[in-house]
Amino acid sequence: MSAGAVASGGVWRRFLRHRVALGGAVVVALLLSAALFAPALAPQDPTLLDTSVRFLAPFADPRFPLGTDELGRDTLSRLLHGGRVSLTVGLVAMATTVLTGAAIGIAAGYLGGLADTLLMRFVDTMLCFPQVFLLLVVAAFVPPTLLSISLVIGLTSWMEVSRIVRAEILNLKEQDFVAAARALGASRARIMFRELLPNAAAPILVAATLKVASAVLMESYISYLGYGVQPPLASWGNMLTNAQGYFDTIPWLAVLPGLAITATVMGFNFLGDGLRDALDPRLRMDP
Amino acid sequence: MTTRISRRTALAGGAAGASLLAAPAVWGQAINRDRIILGMTQEPVQFNPILFVNAGTENVPEACLFDALWDINDKGAFVPNLAAQVPSRQNGGISADGLTWTVNLKRDVKWSDGAPFTAKDVEFTYQAIVSPNTPVRSRTGFDLIKAFRVKDDFTIEMELSRPFVPFLWAWQNMHIIPRHILGNEANLATATFNANPVGTGPFLLRSRTAGSHMVYERNPNYHRGPAKVRQFIHKFVPDQMAAFGQARTGEIDYFGLLGVPPDRWTEVRNLPDRDFLVYHTPNVQFIYYNCGKPQFADARVRKALTMALQMQKSIDDIYFGTWPRSLSYLQPTHWAYNSNLKDYTNDPAGAEKLLDEAGWRRGANGIRQKDGVELKFTMSTTAGNVARQGCQALFQQNWKQIGVEMEIRNMPASVVWGEYTTRSQFDTLLVGWDPTVGLDPDYTARAHSRMIPVKHRQGSNYVQYENAEVDRLLELGVTQTEQADRVKTYHRIQEILHEEVPFAAQGGSVQGHLKRKQLVGPTPNQYVTDITWNVQDWHWA
Amino acid sequence: MIGFLLRRLLQAIPLLVGVSVIGFGLMHLAPGGPLAVYTLNPTIQAQDIERIKVLFGLDQPVHVQYAKWATGIFSGNWGYTFFGGRPVLGVILERVPATMLLMGSALSIAIVVGLAIGVLGATRRYSVFDVLATSGALVALSFPTFWFGLMAIYVFAIELRWLPSGGMWELGEEGSVVSLLRHLVLPTLVLALVITATWSRYARSAFLEALQQDFMRTARAKGLSPRARLLRHAFPNAAKPLVALLGVELPFLFSGALVAETIFAWPGMGRLFVDALTMKEYPILMGMMMFTAIFVIVGNLLADIAIAAIDPRVRLS
Repeated sequence: MSAGAVASGGVWRRFLRHRVALGGAVVVALLLSAALFAPALAPQDPTLLDTSVRFLAPFADPRFPLGTDELGRDTLSRLLHGGRVSLTVGLVAMATTVLTGAAIGIAAGYLGGLADTLLMRFVDTMLCFPQVFLLLVVAAFVPPTLLSISLVIGLTSWMEVSRIVRAEILNLKEQDFVAAARALGASRARIMFRELLPNAAAPILVAATLKVASAVLMESYISYLGYGVQPPLASWGNMLTNAQGYFDTIPWLAVLPGLAITATVMGFNFLGDGLRDALDPRLRMDP
Repeated sequence: MTTRISRRTALAGGAAGASLLAAPAVWGQAINRDRIILGMTQEPVQFNPILFVNAGTENVPEACLFDALWDINDKGAFVPNLAAQVPSRQNGGISADGLTWTVNLKRDVKWSDGAPFTAKDVEFTYQAIVSPNTPVRSRTGFDLIKAFRVKDDFTIEMELSRPFVPFLWAWQNMHIIPRHILGNEANLATATFNANPVGTGPFLLRSRTAGSHMVYERNPNYHRGPAKVRQFIHKFVPDQMAAFGQARTGEIDYFGLLGVPPDRWTEVRNLPDRDFLVYHTPNVQFIYYNCGKPQFADARVRKALTMALQMQKSIDDIYFGTWPRSLSYLQPTHWAYNSNLKDYTNDPAGAEKLLDEAGWRRGANGIRQKDGVELKFTMSTTAGNVARQGCQALFQQNWKQIGVEMEIRNMPASVVWGEYTTRSQFDTLLVGWDPTVGLDPDYTARAHSRMIPVKHRQGSNYVQYENAEVDRLLELGVTQTEQADRVKTYHRIQEILHEEVPFAAQGGSVQGHLKRKQLVGPTPNQYVTDITWNVQDWHWA
Repeated sequence: MIGFLLRRLLQAIPLLVGVSVIGFGLMHLAPGGPLAVYTLNPTIQAQDIERIKVLFGLDQPVHVQYAKWATGIFSGNWGYTFFGGRPVLGVILERVPATMLLMGSALSIAIVVGLAIGVLGATRRYSVFDVLATSGALVALSFPTFWFGLMAIYVFAIELRWLPSGGMWELGEEGSVVSLLRHLVLPTLVLALVITATWSRYARSAFLEALQQDFMRTARAKGLSPRARLLRHAFPNAAKPLVALLGVELPFLFSGALVAETIFAWPGMGRLFVDALTMKEYPILMGMMMFTAIFVIVGNLLADIAIAAIDPRVRLS
């Protein structure tokens, strides 16, 4: 009984029934398109500063639909371009995290013994570094390009994924279908990737979507601190650094990027939840 | 003055910008006349006065717990503290040739543990400063002492290897530490004294709550008379906005470092029950051009680059006009400042002409070049410093107009001010500094050609500037005893620097401090980095 | 069991060595260092920096510095800070209670509330409660913690003035439990929010997995009450990934506490860490890394023991 046995029509139907997840998918699609077409959509150059038009409120001036910041740069343009940056970092970081974490988790969980011990000790070593610490130190070591930031975020957050996957594998490997596959003479690699992986797909998917979200959050935090994406390139995080000093007089500078981050993260979270329910092969109609 | 490194801590808090939306009338805290609460955004960690490095915040324990031989008041005059009088030629304290300095010390001064203060303590302080085992921050001035003699319990005599007028500043900067406690310590850096300091100052350290505050209590035996409040509390609020909020509600009586953000100054001047003090710090902000790099080797290029910048606009826009525009390394209120200098900035046409003359023509891509070198470079400063980023963005635009490409490359403070600066690896920097020997106009360390660290392993001439006339004038300036002569010398130095622009001054940094109206005493003093310079006089009206 | 413990303790040693080597190397190979602070002091010149470099021991090659530090640690000497010359262990331990208080409160709330929501959601799948709880958890997870903290301060400390905006105690009221609790509320809530949301999601997911298993059908067929089915069958099976999660959550808790501490000016380890990082206080950074490492090792050890206790099929290898 493996995931492949579920008709794809069933998956779709279940997904579509989960309206909140559908909402998430829509949000994500919108965000991705906005990010992709940001240069076309943005009304102004996001780095152009003109202090004669600074601190404009949203809707006050048709040239700057969402107002301007403390240096006269258009907020909407910066949100769009910032979204591009934040989403890119989020997606690349997630890919890195999931690939690394799942591979290590499956290997450790199924192979057991020395491999398990060594891999888990490695996980423990990595876990001893607070993620922020690694990020900040490495930010000083390498030029803070988008790729390096994404890789660093990705390479410092896979440990959770590997542990969840390993626990799931430990659960699964005692089950009958695995014993059956072994009895049929399947190789270890085949068992790991054809039998165990699909059944572990649910927690991996949940983790993956959460990881895009957490990567976007992580990027926003380090950019807010000044270590991540460097101005004048806009990211939602470094827009918050600038905005924090004007929080009471022009709150939209802080509210808008924060909402953007929240909306993005929510979109991915809802999407992941829906996917999870849809892909679960043992789904029941009632609790 | 204030090291910018912990600015990140201030930014990282990010709390309550909203605290400002507290009702325009100040609510809350009644005055507790028993104590004064000073609020700052940074926390001191080093209480040994000869070891600290983070001036501004670590001046507070220094001023509360210790004394120096003499202090400097807000009029710029030296005032005796542990010395009976300030040595001068007139009172015989300085010999005619300027080489022998005799200091008479005050009698009946006691350390806070009851031991008597004597000349041996001053001698010990000097020995600690010049000892190779002490990580003292600087020996400027003390390295010129050829011989140190204790004539009796209250008289010392120092012989210098060459005349050095700014020598007074050396002793103003270093407070005296106790010989009877530290004399036997093998390593001053790790002595327990550093956590339990004993000094001769107006207060005693009562308690310290790491990360939160320090409590000082009045020293009843202080030799200048007991302080006027029983308790003095130094509170650290890492976020500037939160600290400002607390100053408005009265949780802090006097908000010093970092002060009120420049865009709130107008509003804050009208607060009832509050005084707003404009504090000129000794700090001037510059663009540093690395003269060792091919693009900046020619002084005309440096001048042209500076001419193209809208310096005044950067002050008006980003610092809301609160900073005075300075054209030299001194603040315009300094007695040696050359006010005859003309501001030639905001002149892109002139800049273009000068660059053309110097042989830097626009290439096919719009960027000027000469002999295969493009006029392209980076500018670096502390990452996360929002105001400086704004300046950089403006300068970038100014330069783009005249065919010069500048790339902003900011780094964390611990990186950019490390070897990147000290080994002259940078292209340009945006940086702020005080003068190098107290507030004396002497600028040898930064402008003398034998003070280039990469070449001579000494000095702080990071821009690698070399000019024989300036060298001569710098050497002359520290030997002249008449103020009028020195003014002439330093005016000429500033003239040359203004023309050759190894560093382009932008403005003098100013802080806005907020205090309760009834708190008497805190007075801006542009000659020190220490806002508690007269803390023993602070009291409630 | 004893053998297992001994083996894990022995395994911990190379782990700690590995952590210290990687950390030490990263810090010393990265550009910049604690000397940068000195550059900004205008009285300091190049020769002063050189002199201080030697006194800090930073002129030695990296492996020599590491050897010195490592031998120090073995004899219980965690070193002295560069700035202030204070014993590192003392400085760290000074901050531990505050952080433990914050983390402990947040974790307790998060586990209790998160589990409850997760279990209720799993058993009443697709009910109004479940949909609200799931969506609510997702929304809560989506706020950037630092931004949420700012908003919380704005609403509760500024507008409503119910709670203080930062710090641990009012000046002069140190030791007052009431004052402490008032200051604890906001940072705990902000920190707990994200963890609760995570927990409720994983709890729901784990319980759903357990509830779909065949043994649940068997238990139902056996006539067990829903309560019994939940407690005796679903819970133990769901608990395993959750306990694993707890082991992993500890360092993330520390990261979250770091953010909360900086925003609320809470005088704990997180703030110490941020300050030490800015100044490149290597001794404190190394000390904190070792501290966290020991913490994590012990946490994982307990988690593995717990998993084995719950599930008899898993052997402690």
